[in-house]
Amino acid sequence: MARNPWLEELFEMPELEGLRFQEEALVRKVRRIPTQGQVLVNIGDLVDPETVVVRGTVVNPEIHEVKIYEQLEVDTSEVERYMLKGEGDEVQKNEVIAIHRFFFGRASKVCRSPIDGSLETFLKSSGRVLIRGKPIPIELKAHIPGKVVSIIPSEGVVVECKAALIQGMFGIGGESVGQLAIAVDKPGEALTTELIEDKHKGKVVIGGSFATIDALRKAVRIGVNGIVVGGVDQKDLTDFLGYEIGMGITGKEKTDLTLIITEGFGVHPMKEGTFNLLKSHEGKQACIDGSTQIRARMLRPEMILPLWAQKNPGS
Amino acid sequence: MSPDDKKESYLVLDIDDWLTRAVLIEKNDGVYEAKAISEAPTTVDLPSLDVTIGVEKAVRSLGQSVGKEFWGADGPSGAHRFLCSSSTGNLYMMVAGVASMISAESAQRAALGAGALLTDVFSKDYPRPDFEMVERMRSMKPDMFLLAGGTDGGAVRQVLEMAHWIRTADVRPRFGSEYKLPLIYAGNIEARKQVSDVLPEEKYATKAVDNVRPLIERENLGPAKEAIYDSFMEHVIIHSPGYNKLVGWVDEPIIPTQAAVGKILYAYAVDRQVNLLAVDVGGATTDVYSIYHGVFNRSLNADMGLTYGVSNVMKTAGIENIMRWIPKQMSEGEVRNIIGNMMILQPTSLTSDDALVQQAAAREAIRLAVEYHKKIASRLKGVSLKRSIGDIFVQALEPTYLDMMKTQVVVGRGKVFGQSQITDAATLLLDALQPEGATEIMIDRLSVMPHLGMLLKANHEAAMQVLSKECLLRLGTCLAPKGRGNPGDVAMRVRMIKSNGVVIEDEVSFGELKTLALGNGETARLEVTPRRRLDVGRGKGKRLEAEVVGGELGLMLDARGRPLEVPTEKHNLAKWVESLKHGQKSLA
Repeated sequence: MARNPWLEELFEMPELEGLRFQEEALVRKVRRIPTQGQVLVNIGDLVDPETVVVRGTVVNPEIHEVKIYEQLEVDTSEVERYMLKGEGDEVQKNEVIAIHRFFFGRASKVCRSPIDGSLETFLKSSGRVLIRGKPIPIELKAHIPGKVVSIIPSEGVVVECKAALIQGMFGIGGESVGQLAIAVDKPGEALTTELIEDKHKGKVVIGGSFATIDALRKAVRIGVNGIVVGGVDQKDLTDFLGYEIGMGITGKEKTDLTLIITEGFGVHPMKEGTFNLLKSHEGKQACIDGSTQIRARMLRPEMILPLWAQKNPGS
Repeated sequence: MSPDDKKESYLVLDIDDWLTRAVLIEKNDGVYEAKAISEAPTTVDLPSLDVTIGVEKAVRSLGQSVGKEFWGADGPSGAHRFLCSSSTGNLYMMVAGVASMISAESAQRAALGAGALLTDVFSKDYPRPDFEMVERMRSMKPDMFLLAGGTDGGAVRQVLEMAHWIRTADVRPRFGSEYKLPLIYAGNIEARKQVSDVLPEEKYATKAVDNVRPLIERENLGPAKEAIYDSFMEHVIIHSPGYNKLVGWVDEPIIPTQAAVGKILYAYAVDRQVNLLAVDVGGATTDVYSIYHGVFNRSLNADMGLTYGVSNVMKTAGIENIMRWIPKQMSEGEVRNIIGNMMILQPTSLTSDDALVQQAAAREAIRLAVEYHKKIASRLKGVSLKRSIGDIFVQALEPTYLDMMKTQVVVGRGKVFGQSQITDAATLLLDALQPEGATEIMIDRLSVMPHLGMLLKANHEAAMQVLSKECLLRLGTCLAPKGRGNPGDVAMRVRMIKSNGVVIEDEVSFGELKTLALGNGETARLEVTPRRRLDVGRGKGKRLEAEVVGGELGLMLDARGRPLEVPTEKHNLAKWVESLKHGQKSLA
């Protein structure tokens, strides 16, 4: 099983019957945006999970094709001479981008931009333009508490912290952070509705062998940030998400809950070692990520349990 | 080792994402045989990042098993060396043409035939807006692009427009944005210069080859496929760690594994002059290969397999379609959990319930893959057909070549066939493909088809001998009437005259699956009289006389009806497998 590619550990991970975990590791997490942007921290800075470390903009997926020749009522080959805007120019919604004057300038036909954005491409041969919406701002948080140990110019940073690290088998939902709460007494106990309580709001709740769909739904209602459990029924997961998972690539689900299953689908008591390690961190911060990618360059969901107080990483 | 030794030694490797598999083929007492097979983990990824480490391990291990050294100072030595590869996944290709059903379809066939996984197919009549096409081209980074369009001497404008779209999209290669994207142009010969001018040299390694559709009524896939192999070697595989060394170690260019499988299947079908249909069910993909009247086609259902792709099979086929094949009562929840765990855990050993669910999912994966294959293995569209009243009653103008009644050989490939009981493998193929008439049923037991495909050019005889004698396991000939009848009615009367003169006569009732004893490789003369509305290849109710060959399960008589209706009573499903087991025992 390959590890999350943006994690590096200094120590070998012992294998615990299929589930890999490390009680103490120096975790380095790369925080990188998929574009050029502005890095907001410096090497040596202490960050917490909510610290924004890099900010930038990404290409807006909204794109409109405008058939200028139609609006100007000219042949496609003539469009170029009526253009007021060129490739790369910014445009406002309803701004005139091409004009065709006729009758000695007394009459005209115009073509306007349907959105705010920029003229990305002028297709000379077909008399059309592509206008893309304004870039979308994005920012990335540190996700783990620690120290910035390196900067990737214009793209991101590497944050380092000493932590326990556990991989699960499968997960949904992206990154989440919360205080660890143990809701069951034993790793073989199921996580049912009654065990999810209001006090779990904003926390990462640890169950045992199984979580019922009602428990998952109640967790969302209450505002639980994450659930880590031995297993769930595949059918429950399908019903919970509202659709069938096809390929094992997850992390972008529109659910307000990160769910990690440590063993597999069905009822599976969580491994004693995993449960005990999680229990030893009860009340402390947990940084979890349900993103999973089954197949080549495998990615498993992860739980990072920082071992130091966030403002005192050396201790 | 003397040069003479080398002459008869062939060291062939196949590298996939996980395993590097080496096979040694040598002549022994005048017959070629797979003398040794060895495996080592593929080392193209971290931490090794050098594919040659795995190759060296596999080759050294092979040498140890036969007491010879095949590893010299400069890599493999002492034998002719060949290699195919599917590491780093597949060869991801995009294809584009002018008309979706003409040039784009031909380009699609060329790419699939060369072993590619198609990320998308574009055409001027693309059903989505042009800008979406540009977005798609931009976001799906392929390893290679194939552009076709226009007949030779025909219109130039439309194919040039496609080239402009590619330029606008600024398509970048999957690995290494600093590399040039290999783009093969196989369209109107008169547009070569203009296409090349449109696509900037600093971004695209454009290579022009003969048109895949020089005339509407003619398809010419060979040059495009060869160009794909060349570009695969020169621009794609070479960027993977260690492959630059491998290229210098082998006697022939490296080609994609799937292309090598296609080559050996094609050679086998052509040598035997049969129509052949083969399915290859993997963990993440299901391939279908067909050769009908000498025309080769391959299709690929990406993301449909039995481990990583099994949930996708369930999503596409529906859970109820998988459950109908399971020969015991299981709840939907149980089946779903098994499928989910197969995807996330990829278990190396299966419980009996896991195996039943996997076999059921395999039937659906094959069914879906063959449905898709029918679209690829089709007659050339755009060619005007003259239809007569008679054509209404015959299949001659069916849109696909694929016709189970005209399929003489069926081959199953993949772990699900190689690691299961042969009776399970046989029912899997019979259920999923539903052969009609007389069809030889085979499975790939040795998993060396890619190796043999690589060996083919250097030593055709050796490749075919190993294929026939060691790789393909003949389960038997299946005789299946097309049509339906009432359960219990006699579906066909069979008279089998064995080569030793022994005559066996039998009646097969509708709904029955049974076997007659006929040893592997043993031939017999068969006379079959089907019931009035059933067809065994000569027309409804017409008697068939044919020469058939036996296999591990003898002669299989499948009167369950075509199309096959899956019984709701689970015990009937179990009974079918049991009846084949009974046949196997009688032969033993």
